[in-house]
Amino acid sequence: MKLSELRDGEKGLIIEVRGNSALKNRLLSMGIVRGAEIKMVRNAPLKDPIEFELKGYFLSLRRSEAENVIVEVKE
Amino acid sequence: MDFVDAIASARYELIGRILGKSVERTSRPKSFSDIVDIVLLDKYLGIPIFLTLMWTVFQFAFSISAPFSTAIDILFSSGSEWSKTIIQNEVLASLIGDGIFGGLGFILVFLPPIAFVFIALAILEDTGYLPRAAFVMDRAMTKVGLHGKSFIPMLLGFGCNVPAIMGCRTIENEADRKITIMVNPLMSCSARLPVYVLFAGAFFAGYEGFAITSMYLLGIVLAAIMATVIRKLFFGGEPSPLLMEIPDYSMPTLKNILTSAWIRVKIFLKKAATILFAGAIIIWFLSVFPWDATNGGEILENSYAASIGHAIEPVIAPLGFDWKAGVALFTGFVAKELVVGTLGILYGVESEEAIAEAIAVDFNPATALALMAITLIYLPCLAALGVLVRELGELKWVGLVIAYELLLAYIVAAIIVAIGGVIL
Repeated sequence: MKLSELRDGEKGLIIEVRGNSALKNRLLSMGIVRGAEIKMVRNAPLKDPIEFELKGYFLSLRRSEAENVIVEVKE
Repeated sequence: MDFVDAIASARYELIGRILGKSVERTSRPKSFSDIVDIVLLDKYLGIPIFLTLMWTVFQFAFSISAPFSTAIDILFSSGSEWSKTIIQNEVLASLIGDGIFGGLGFILVFLPPIAFVFIALAILEDTGYLPRAAFVMDRAMTKVGLHGKSFIPMLLGFGCNVPAIMGCRTIENEADRKITIMVNPLMSCSARLPVYVLFAGAFFAGYEGFAITSMYLLGIVLAAIMATVIRKLFFGGEPSPLLMEIPDYSMPTLKNILTSAWIRVKIFLKKAATILFAGAIIIWFLSVFPWDATNGGEILENSYAASIGHAIEPVIAPLGFDWKAGVALFTGFVAKELVVGTLGILYGVESEEAIAEAIAVDFNPATALALMAITLIYLPCLAALGVLVRELGELKWVGLVIAYELLLAYIVAAIIVAIGGVIL
């Protein structure tokens, strides 16, 4: 599923990072890489962007950007 | 998986291996920041809290700084009076009193709001709230071609466009920053208010609030349209990604806050003030010369400024304005509130009520509303133009701002007059 589809508090394992090269490079440089664990923290009050937690820090991503990351829900 | 992907994965894999050997992770309890964010970024409370904070920032930046600006204004006005009484040569007295003291006063009144805005911005930045503000507002701002980080500079524009434009430096992406700077002058600053109050009071008695509010809304709508258009035409694509770290909250340090304010004040004084001072002297010259014809600056009708008003007249005549409005708009370019005083001088009256009566002869409700809209749109004031030059860097962008604003002001005024002609 897409990273943007994770629900509040749900954790995922990143399987693939897509998107145009500029966006992809930025995602990768922020630690959004294959195999990383990422947790959905909350939606912004207007439902977009989304706050995630990964590698011990918090990151905001727009819904449209998070759609480029494919994850597998982790129990 | 491509090359970039492979490198990034390998790098993080290595990091993971090193961390695995050297760091022991225990489950982390909720930190102070986590708990604060549960409230501050809440689905329902997030926006009301955000707006309250922004209101506080706005009041701090503009209400608390206002007495300092007034003090500076009084200081330079008395300096101006004093120099005119002790200098015998009339031209020199006018140059020093009105040109130099007047010009300096006009520039330095911007220092308190600039300092206070940057104190407020530094507090928001150092505490860690700034990225959260972008997080809360991003959705709304990207809808109108801007970026989450554009919100605060746009809001500050309602107080004064000068620190607001300087505050756009908090937007990292160049396209997002330039677009935000270029539409910022459309946010109706407090200097436009006296013009609205005068015309709304004279022509929309009982509905003043409605007429004035419509100008603020007009500015917001035009800024949204222009941001979208400018992005489409000159930058292309979408606002830059909102890929940003949301840091832990932290205590701001006094030193950081004061340094940040001081740097901005210095930037304004060094770069903008030179342009502003030259501008103020030129405007002084145009308002009092030819010296004999204006009787030493007393008869504005005979000045070069009036000639400029007459030169503008053919352009604005179709909108229903004469040369007097032209002169008022010319001096209004220095500082928008001067439109009121200039009309007073040209109609030979002083009090606000008398000006209102005088303009009632030459204007009607439609042209009054059109002039309010023109005052909002037509040009950034001289001080705002100074920081636009400084912050945009390239003159082509400054040229674009001037061109679109003049054109937009004319179109909007024409529409208002046309609709007014049908209704009235």
